[in-house]
Amino acid sequence: MSGAPIVITGAAGFIGRAAVEAATGLDLPVRAIVRRDCGLWRDTPGANRVGDFGVLIGMFACVSFAGSFEFSDINAYASVMGSQDLQFPGVSSGLTFGNAATFATLFLFLGCTGKSAQVPLYVWLPDAMAGPTPVSALIHAATMVTSGIYLCCRLSPLFLQSEVTMSVIAVVGALTAFLGATIAITQHEMKKILAYSTVSQLGFMFAGVGVGAFAAGFFHVFTHAFFKACLFLGAGSVMHAVHAHGDADIFKLGGMKRFQPWTRWTFLFSCFAIAGFPPTSGFFSKDELLVGAANVWLEETALPSSVGAFVFVVLAVSAFLTAFYMFRLYFLTFEGSYRSAPAEGEDPERGGHAPHDDHGYAAHPHESERSMTLPLVVLAFGALVVGFLGMPHWLGLPNWWEHWMEASITNLAVPESESHTPHILAMAVGTAVALGGIGAAWLLYYKGAGVKALDEPKNNKLTHFLFDKWRVDEFYGGWVLGPIKWIAIQCGRVDRTFVDTLLTRATSGSAALLGHLFTRLQVGVVHAYGLAIVVGTGVLGWWFLYPHARVDVTPGAEAVALSAGPGLGYEYRWDLDADGAFDVPLQPETLTVVLSAELEQSAIDQIARRLSNVITSVDAWPDDRRALGTPVGLRRYTLTPPAEALARTRQFIESTEGITLEGSAPAGERFGDATAAEHRYDEDDHVGFTLAWQDELRRSHRMELAPGETLLDASLLAFAWEPVRPAEAEPDPLAGLEPAFMLAEDGSLSVRPNGADHRGLRLDEEGRASLAAGDRFTLGGRPMRIVPRVRARVQVRNAFGNVATETVEFDLDPDEAPAAAPLAQNDRAGAGR
Amino acid sequence: MIEHNLLTLLLVVPAFGAVVLLFLPRQWHHTIRRFSVGTLVTNFVLSLLLLPSVTGALGEALARRLPGSEHVSVPDYATGAFQFVEDARWVESLGIGYRLGVDGISLWLVLLTTLLTPIALFGSWTSITTKVKEYAFAFLLLEVGMLGAFFALDLFLFYVFWELMLVPMYLIIGVWGGKDRVYAAVKFFIYTMVGSLLMLVAILYVVAQYEGLTGTITFDLRELGNLVLPYEAQLLCFLAFAVAFAIKVPMFPFHTWLPDAHVQAPTGGSVILAAVMLKLGTYGLLRLAMPLFPLASQELAPTIAVLAIIGILYGAYAAWVQKDVKKLVAYSSVSHMGFIALGMFAMTPQGVNGALLQMLNHGVSTGALFLLVGVIYERRHTRDLDEFGGLAKVMPWYALVFVIVSMSSIGLPGTNGFVGEFMIMSGTFVSTNNPNGVGFRDMGGVYTLFAAAGVIFAAVYMLHAVLKMFWGPVNRKENEGLADLGWREWTSVAPLLVLIFYMGVNPSVFLDASAPAVEGFIADFNQRYRDQVNDDTLRVVGQPVQAAASATAAVEGPAEAPVAARRMAAEAAAAEAAGRAAVRGERLRRRGAPDPVLDMDLGFRPQVLRAARAAGGER
Repeated sequence: MSGAPIVITGAAGFIGRAAVEAATGLDLPVRAIVRRDCGLWRDTPGANRVGDFGVLIGMFACVSFAGSFEFSDINAYASVMGSQDLQFPGVSSGLTFGNAATFATLFLFLGCTGKSAQVPLYVWLPDAMAGPTPVSALIHAATMVTSGIYLCCRLSPLFLQSEVTMSVIAVVGALTAFLGATIAITQHEMKKILAYSTVSQLGFMFAGVGVGAFAAGFFHVFTHAFFKACLFLGAGSVMHAVHAHGDADIFKLGGMKRFQPWTRWTFLFSCFAIAGFPPTSGFFSKDELLVGAANVWLEETALPSSVGAFVFVVLAVSAFLTAFYMFRLYFLTFEGSYRSAPAEGEDPERGGHAPHDDHGYAAHPHESERSMTLPLVVLAFGALVVGFLGMPHWLGLPNWWEHWMEASITNLAVPESESHTPHILAMAVGTAVALGGIGAAWLLYYKGAGVKALDEPKNNKLTHFLFDKWRVDEFYGGWVLGPIKWIAIQCGRVDRTFVDTLLTRATSGSAALLGHLFTRLQVGVVHAYGLAIVVGTGVLGWWFLYPHARVDVTPGAEAVALSAGPGLGYEYRWDLDADGAFDVPLQPETLTVVLSAELEQSAIDQIARRLSNVITSVDAWPDDRRALGTPVGLRRYTLTPPAEALARTRQFIESTEGITLEGSAPAGERFGDATAAEHRYDEDDHVGFTLAWQDELRRSHRMELAPGETLLDASLLAFAWEPVRPAEAEPDPLAGLEPAFMLAEDGSLSVRPNGADHRGLRLDEEGRASLAAGDRFTLGGRPMRIVPRVRARVQVRNAFGNVATETVEFDLDPDEAPAAAPLAQNDRAGAGR
Repeated sequence: MIEHNLLTLLLVVPAFGAVVLLFLPRQWHHTIRRFSVGTLVTNFVLSLLLLPSVTGALGEALARRLPGSEHVSVPDYATGAFQFVEDARWVESLGIGYRLGVDGISLWLVLLTTLLTPIALFGSWTSITTKVKEYAFAFLLLEVGMLGAFFALDLFLFYVFWELMLVPMYLIIGVWGGKDRVYAAVKFFIYTMVGSLLMLVAILYVVAQYEGLTGTITFDLRELGNLVLPYEAQLLCFLAFAVAFAIKVPMFPFHTWLPDAHVQAPTGGSVILAAVMLKLGTYGLLRLAMPLFPLASQELAPTIAVLAIIGILYGAYAAWVQKDVKKLVAYSSVSHMGFIALGMFAMTPQGVNGALLQMLNHGVSTGALFLLVGVIYERRHTRDLDEFGGLAKVMPWYALVFVIVSMSSIGLPGTNGFVGEFMIMSGTFVSTNNPNGVGFRDMGGVYTLFAAAGVIFAAVYMLHAVLKMFWGPVNRKENEGLADLGWREWTSVAPLLVLIFYMGVNPSVFLDASAPAVEGFIADFNQRYRDQVNDDTLRVVGQPVQAAASATAAVEGPAEAPVAARRMAAEAAAAEAAGRAAVRGERLRRRGAPDPVLDMDLGFRPQVLRAARAAGGER
């Protein structure tokens, strides 16, 4: 199952997008050579790479649901992704994106913001401006930047699953439209204005996508391609005419209509189109976008109406600004007088075909060749008429575009209404702002005087701010790139100082240090070596002080034989039933008694005399009275009476005043030589139970039954197990639980099959069956039996008197020998005598 | 016939060449160069016989020419089993055998080795002027070591070859290197040696445990695979193996030998080091550490993933600020190798296949980058970025080739780098859907987020270097008269350029051979993991695990899932089945015939299933 074909076929969309990026990448070095401003062009791959990151993650999220990269597959899974969550840590605790569709689409949209120049990743687009004009036109208007819209439209069913993403797209698109328009108002250079205009128009498209009018957004892509390409080529034609390189300052142009009639007319038509002047193409597509926003605002849709209202207002304002700055560009470039004309007395040859200087452009501009004007005418014609493909349906006009897109694009569902309020509102507002913007530009830049003053950034703080493009580039440079670069520098530093010096050198240094230290041991002084031998021997001896014996268990027919490992000078004693008492005959006991301080000396003497035969040691507490010369104090005697005298001694202690028994202990630790012992275990010896069962391959399994309830994992059972559904009337707390074993505190064992198939069990009214050691039954198709567990203990003492206790716990399974190495708890007690 | 001993032949040719070299007079520089490169090229041609298409064509040609001749058997990598297996006795009393074999996983790495070794030697044709004979000798021996390590099916043999390739590389860096060559060589040697010794201890432990249970002592990898170690033992052994391999890869924080070694090594040494030797680390993880210790490798997969991601980001960051171009490329290796480690532990077909492909990609593109850096170093005797600028004007072809290779390193679609990284990242993301809970579980998406961020930085540091070197004004007088690529440089870099585009556009040629082996590897891993996660008592599995046979068992779903949950999952699946089947059926109709590759269950399980399973589990 190779993943390669998937990558090859399915990722075609991504490859296509990235291929465009490759094209930019190859275009840019050329441009960089031209401009030599190497700092800026990095933004293009940078911002696009961030976008790629988003697309990759979005794709992976889709593929983890749909199992395929194909658009159709992903769309087929849209509803699933809209209702399920991604598997992420923290999902169970509520840290989610809402649903998988939101996650995927948000990341995909991040990719769109990179590729289609939306806030916050739009900065690369105006910077990628120094390429040859047709390339700019192509990249900006027609293909590359609109691939983000294309992606959204292709995956429209998926995007519609997420209200969050749609709102984000709508707001981001509207903000981009506004931002681009405000920046374009103040710029002085033709292509820069057109570039920010592109940013703004892309914002329009995304705002349309965000309000669910995918087809309208895509329609705007289509119409925009015509007029924006025409505008770019027109700008190129103007620059060609005046021998401007890089870009053309519109304040040094003017009156170009005299020199370039073809360029002028095509440019003017395209300006009308982009301003949305009816009935040009821009009017129809922009109208559709506004209708989409108005629908969300006024009608009942799946998206919040506040978003619709916001988008509608911002788009209307942006449309006004669009009309304004486009006609500002037009009036300043083509109307009025040519501001770079040679002044009186100046050398008329200045400019011409000679390299121009900073003061102005060629003295005698000329119309461009036919090869340049012909595309302009074609594009301008398109800009005027392609809008008729998508005429408003509510007026009874045919909307072919909507019809063609129906099969591929899913738009937001909008309820049918009779009032047409959104449509009327959109059309009225759209026409009004277009006329208003054109009119304002006409007043200020055609009729108006002192135009230059208004556009001089230093005269006006707001103009300055907009002219500096909201200072976003500076923000990115300082607040985004700066910290990242800082991290990189720190990484480089950490690698040298910490990883390579501290970690590496410290490791090698510690080895060197050890070597150095061990060298020091080789002093060559015999005394030192002798000391080392003594210490070494001592350490070894200490090691051997402790005894250890491994216990083996051999079951027999009747009894179980246990044997402990032999050792030099080892002695053993056994506690085969692990009841705490060693299985040896009655032993002499050591009693500790304390004499009361109140006793007279005579009484003490009397007692001491009576016990003189059994006293083995006397402790006297130091007491004040010793200071007075009387050796009297609280005394503690250790008594070791012989076995036959034990009872009498106890009786004496109990009957005598002033003497109390503090404790007793077996005195003689009688160890034997027996390394093996045998025992018959009975029920009293059981310390627990083990459940043994066989699987279908007749392999044995065991499970210790802990005190309390042990639920049996249903996967252990041979048959499909049906949990008992709770009855409606009497809810059963046990319903749905697996078969369980109960080990009560009193040691009684019971089983509750709880619906599992069973044989050999007699259930009581609670559904339980009590079990005893050795019981055999079948539960869920598995032969099972209850095996008792027993425990044995042996103490080993070596020649040094050190004692180790070894405890073994094992199953008394009649069917099979206990495991070769029974659970051994080696409790090594170093209690010497 | 030749195919029975092809692998031995591939080892013998360079070894024999090395011996012959000893008898050539040391002044015959040109003869020595021609002879050694000729030997390596011959070996490359011979290694092409590993490809079924070549062997098949050869067999047909032979059959036509000599009607009575013996039939040439064609290797079949589709079985996922080892091909060209040789199993000869060596030290029988210790169970050490001369066991060689090649499967889809090692096939391309072998070809990468046989291709890049002559290129690397050829690339140092003019730059090495002293002790030429010894240099060529070291290269021939190096190839023997690297090929042997890729061929070995015996742990002892693997260890021998693993150590064998250390010595020539140590000499290459230490004798023909730059100013601090001794420091770098010793550092390289000690780092690698420490890791290898840990691995040796683990190998001996594994063999001893196997002997304790079966009574036979063997180093045969295929038999030792049946040994089940308790979890704690697995953990220690895996760590020992993983440290050895992580040093070689190198993974953070064991990477600092790499920049030093690369900067000091001569161009040929850097190429081999980056292109092939680093791959032995990831190859070792895949071939030895993961199958032998499935519980531990699954348990430590998150740790390795985190280290890999640190390597990806940290390597990229560190590369960005390097002044030395070679060091920049070295740190980019740390970043790229992080992707490979991540993909392998994702335990998805895409991830492991992508990791394998990325090993080749990295070998090709980083090898080419080092060659190109060597080109400029030979002309200017400096690699300082500040020393360069505007080279595109002076050396346009060099600039073009460098940009292409950089794009491959960045992972631009259409070049090889993209395919590998894409598969790794998608494999990591869908690792959450893995059956049996292998892979990254619910962390797959998070790891992908971080790894994908590394994609951004790859562009940043690589373009930073390209920008600095090639655009802008020519900033040094010395740079003005630099010669463009010569025919030798073209010859050495051209095959890599072809591969960059070929692998980028048509990776399935490479994946078709490796996919069955990877599939077997994953199925095998799943099976072992399932067996051992329930019962890790020390034992030897009776029947040798057949990768192909277990493939179906492993994808059926986790056996430990409760029955009820499984039934609910089935219901949920049935509910989804309509849409899914429609989509699939439509795809089949469109294609006309079922595509055996595309329509296989790729391990992508719709999350619906898993969600249902989880819901069933909670009750």
